[in-house]
Amino acid sequence: MLAPAQQHDMHTYLGLGSAPDAAAAKLGEPLYKQNCAACHGEDARGAQGPNLVRSTLVLHDEKGHDIGQVVKSGRPEGGMPAFPNLTDQQIYDIAEYLHVQVENAANRGLYNSLYSKQRSQTTGDPTKGRQFFAEHCASCHSATGDLAKIADKFPEAAEMQERFLWPASREPRRATVTTASGQTISGTILKIDDFDVSLRDAAGQMHEWPRDQVEVKLEDKLAGHRALLPVYKDADLHNLTAYLLTLK
Amino acid sequence: MNRFLLLTCLAASLGAQTLDPRTLTLFHQPPDIWPTYNGDYSGRRYRTLDQINQSNVGDLQLDWSFKIEGIPPLRGVGKAVIKSTPLMVNGVLYFTVPDHVFAVDARTHKKLWQFDWQDQGGHLLGQRGVGMYGNWLYFLTPDGWFFSLNAKDGSVRWRKKVADEKLQYFTTMSPLIVKNHVLIGVGGDAMDVRGYLESRDPETGDLEWRWWSEPQKPGDPGADTWPNQAAMDHGGGMTWMPGTYDPELNLLYWGTGNANPVFAGQSRKGANLWTASIVALNPDTGKLVWWFQASPHDTHDWDNVETPVLFDAVIDGKPRKLLAQGARCGWFFVLDRTNGKALVSKPFSGTGNWAKGVDDKGQPIPDPAKEPKVDGSMIDMPAMGATNWQPPSYDPETELFYLNGTEGYGLAYLYDTSNEPEGYGGGGSETFDARSALFALDIRTGNTRWKHEIPHGEGSISGGILTTSGKLLFTGDSSSVAAFDPATGKILWHHRLAAPVSNGPSTWTLDGKQYVIVGAGDTLYAFTLKGAKP
Repeated sequence: MLAPAQQHDMHTYLGLGSAPDAAAAKLGEPLYKQNCAACHGEDARGAQGPNLVRSTLVLHDEKGHDIGQVVKSGRPEGGMPAFPNLTDQQIYDIAEYLHVQVENAANRGLYNSLYSKQRSQTTGDPTKGRQFFAEHCASCHSATGDLAKIADKFPEAAEMQERFLWPASREPRRATVTTASGQTISGTILKIDDFDVSLRDAAGQMHEWPRDQVEVKLEDKLAGHRALLPVYKDADLHNLTAYLLTLK
Repeated sequence: MNRFLLLTCLAASLGAQTLDPRTLTLFHQPPDIWPTYNGDYSGRRYRTLDQINQSNVGDLQLDWSFKIEGIPPLRGVGKAVIKSTPLMVNGVLYFTVPDHVFAVDARTHKKLWQFDWQDQGGHLLGQRGVGMYGNWLYFLTPDGWFFSLNAKDGSVRWRKKVADEKLQYFTTMSPLIVKNHVLIGVGGDAMDVRGYLESRDPETGDLEWRWWSEPQKPGDPGADTWPNQAAMDHGGGMTWMPGTYDPELNLLYWGTGNANPVFAGQSRKGANLWTASIVALNPDTGKLVWWFQASPHDTHDWDNVETPVLFDAVIDGKPRKLLAQGARCGWFFVLDRTNGKALVSKPFSGTGNWAKGVDDKGQPIPDPAKEPKVDGSMIDMPAMGATNWQPPSYDPETELFYLNGTEGYGLAYLYDTSNEPEGYGGGGSETFDARSALFALDIRTGNTRWKHEIPHGEGSISGGILTTSGKLLFTGDSSSVAAFDPATGKILWHHRLAAPVSNGPSTWTLDGKQYVIVGAGDTLYAFTLKGAKP
């Protein structure tokens, strides 16, 4: 999930302009529902009136300026009445509500929090998930041992699913290096690529070799997870997720 | 060689900064020029230059580097990353990052001029470079301005607005010059707009034609692949990478991006032509001649803009005009470029389990069961695609197609379950068991002839690929630039850089000396043979 700072970065990166005024949008929501939703739809995505989230005018609007002109004078040729009784403040609030709708569609950095309800859903069957676990996972993991209360740590279905598919934090970090002279040194990998390998040994000493002059054996804690990737059907994933979410 | 000398003399007589239009060819150009994004119209990124070759590549060393300095951090991005392939014309290099163009003397590696723009929006993710026509450069800014600059000093001749950044369009591509047309495409899939490709007059910047990525109205050809007008009007299909061109067939080949809304396909049932496709267009009229859809009814953000590479080869005893693409959807396609019929249609990453098979044109048939789901749908390739814009290469000696790809598994989620979803409407997971690889694909069978694989955490293949008649393949490997044997995949040389290679490597000769050029982060690096004398 993206931290708030990253959400802001996505907004900046996408060039979405000034951030919508969330407080004003909150005030604008009931005003929108009361005055606009009948024609433009409950969520502003259009009904007999046009979609306002994808509207060129709304996308060009800054702080209700362009929107206000249309709201005040209406669009008689398109069948839209004028709303002379709305104050400038109310129009600003409605405009900010629309800008929040735009932000929610366009800024995918917000999706994880915006759609947390969807990300918490699974259609899986926990009983079938328990069977799958017994057959494929129980040789390494235990529901009462290492995975006890795992659902407290990963309460969201999507997060749980991605965690058991590939717990990336368990990727190789330790290795044993055999040098040309036959010496073996074990330790934590600092950096490894096609050309060089460096590690820190138990005594805290750093070692570095050209990759083609040594043999590197990386510890692989994910072999079981890798072997399961081609085995899962989508239903297995959802069942297993549903089962693991019961481990509270 | 006489032809090359003649062209060089002509170019010199036309003025120092002028690009001779006769250097814009399908396969061959003089050794001392790199006149377009891909080096020639074919997109092969293969050069007949062998001063640097397998026997001496060990002596390849850094000759000079040029670091971009003195520009402010890019909005939402930070440090500039060179994704453009520098043009090299008459001893001057022209390259870009978003909002900035640089002209550098290739002999002295000193900056000649710099052009800066203050954008008012758009994404600053990448900039692929400038196009050149005569002594004019063409440059696109993130916020949809199309500039013509004087190659001599970077001064502005004119600018035209070609895309509306407020609708979330942005422009990053390197304009492609074909005859007297400047071809420009657009990007932007955050707000459900429609893609288009424009041809503009190189002298005035005026619009000559515009091709839309969707049919205009119900009843038009292709409209039966959309449910209604609104779906077509908001259907995506961005044209954000330079295409290729066959002068003999007078056909322009262009890739189109994913359909919109990106992950939510429920409001756009149907194949959604011409999104996620390769289209062949007449460059004089913009009329569609044929198409091949790589990811029909795409629901995975699989832009199909990877270079459509042109080459000729003998297949079953017959000479054929071919087009190959390593597609973001994880498949390798080899098409007859006269008609778009597939000779090869095969996954290179995973087993293609998002498709039920291929149709009679060779286009994958998507499996609805593998569309994004609220609780996730897994495919046996990265959810966000198996390759991307990084330039591939075709080597006519090995007859292999090379690409920078990724293998692994991914989940795609549907978030916006409404009847009228908007924006992305869903998302893809990280890649599980991600393996970056340099692929060498057989153009006759689609089989992987060799593959240099790098497990996750041990670096990755980075940037694009260049092959040469010196029997060398250059690409980025982790934080190094490396030379591989294109026949076997053996690493023959590498040089560590301050950042991973971020563009497509290029090569040319200047004063008789062959250079290999790569961009890595904010720095351009030039390599030559130790002791090579001009």
